[in-house]
Amino acid sequence: MAHEFNMDLTPQEEWSWLVAIDLFLGGLGGGLFLLYQVFGLSSAVALLSLGLVVLGGLVLLSELGHPLRAWRALLKPFSSWISRGVIFVSLFLIFGALYVAPTLEYFSWLPWGDDPTARKTIGAIAGAAALLVTLYPGFVLAASPSIPFWNSPLLPVLFFSHSLMGASGLVFLLAPVALNGAALPAIRVVGEVLIATNFALIAIYLLTLRGSGLAAREAVRRLSEGALGWTFQVGVVLVGMILPLAVVIWLPSAAAFAGICILIGALLFRYCVLKAGVYVPFAMT
Amino acid sequence: MAPDKQTIVRTNGKAPRWGMAIDLKRCVGCQSCTLACKVENGTPPGIFWMRVLEKEEGTYPVARKVFLPVRCNHCSEPPCVPVCPTGASYKRKKDNLVLINQDKCIGCRACVVACPYQVRFISEDAKGYYGDELTPYEAESYKKWQPRTVQKCTFCVDRLETGREPACVQTCPTRALVFGNLNDTESEIARLVRGRAHFQPRAELGTDPSLYYLT
Repeated sequence: MAHEFNMDLTPQEEWSWLVAIDLFLGGLGGGLFLLYQVFGLSSAVALLSLGLVVLGGLVLLSELGHPLRAWRALLKPFSSWISRGVIFVSLFLIFGALYVAPTLEYFSWLPWGDDPTARKTIGAIAGAAALLVTLYPGFVLAASPSIPFWNSPLLPVLFFSHSLMGASGLVFLLAPVALNGAALPAIRVVGEVLIATNFALIAIYLLTLRGSGLAAREAVRRLSEGALGWTFQVGVVLVGMILPLAVVIWLPSAAAFAGICILIGALLFRYCVLKAGVYVPFAMT
Repeated sequence: MAPDKQTIVRTNGKAPRWGMAIDLKRCVGCQSCTLACKVENGTPPGIFWMRVLEKEEGTYPVARKVFLPVRCNHCSEPPCVPVCPTGASYKRKKDNLVLINQDKCIGCRACVVACPYQVRFISEDAKGYYGDELTPYEAESYKKWQPRTVQKCTFCVDRLETGREPACVQTCPTRALVFGNLNDTESEIARLVRGRAHFQPRAELGTDPSLYYLT
């Protein structure tokens, strides 16, 4: 990308829709696996969660300049959050698959299916990896000192809670196949709490960063005005949180619709966070 | 540009830390450094490893333009290096230059985003300035970088290794750019930094850039 020969506030333009889709799919997959484990949902949900993470990885590969060299991203886990993320995703896919496989008829012969200790261990590793898959994108962004809007310890928490919220939306949408005896009302309550939590976290995040210097203030302004402002306020806040919360509370029979709204909001949230990344101007310090 | 014996004694055998002092009182914004860099490194259209920013200050009739040459700062604590997932971005021990191994770069753009100075670039293709077909000069100079990997100022590392200054320094008609070893207390750059008011860009981030703006 060519940079302007001026000293204005400039947003980052390197990461956009494809990265947003990857973060969305990865977070959704990790969050869904956690809900699968907590609520004992059907194996189809676990398979879906693995599929979503694979799909997210493929989207990310298509974004890379040299996808065939992607294996090299495993080499720097002691310094790079992207490298750590690749390892978390790999662990999640391996242990998630090992955990789910014995529950499928075709793989029911697998020996650890009958060994509670082994299955518990594999499940714990898969669960921990799923948790890290939801957290690491926030750390990737927060590690950039160049963009104050991202450079906050709250961002990984926000990504984690948004991943869980998105996953709850997907469960609402897939309730007939996903619930496997688990009570829909319980998941609905979790969904309500997650939406309210995310609403509060986003508000705290924006209020905190509004006072964190020129570039962060500009990022918050971008989220409240113009095209990105509309995307954020209508897409993320209204469609992604307020509307589904109202539907889940007052019209539980339309939970699937609320699920779609949550998913739209969860995708747009990633996009808005990426596009609101504004550099501190080089010469204004 | 290997240090001589006297320099090695003066610096206690420390590896050179190449840096640049930029005299903002001397820079006239002619962009000859920008062009010299393009000619030397054969960067593609739209990409400038070195460029001079401009800004108007004041209001009529007391208005003026200020200029700020910018490029990779070859920081002592470069934020672009730890974010690289492959080790393609690295700091060379023998002279503290921040360089890129383009054969290892996967084009993930993490370093482009992490650089607070916005001086890392990715060229999506290897198109030339005059249509699809490269000129003989472009065909030769484009061998210095690969499309879809990160590229940036190297302080003209090829020239340094043959004892020459970076092209921008050699070109600057007002001698606004002074290049040298910051670890050598007797070098011109060290004396300038010691004797003149200066600032390092975005020093508050703890990156310790090897660029000093003399004011």
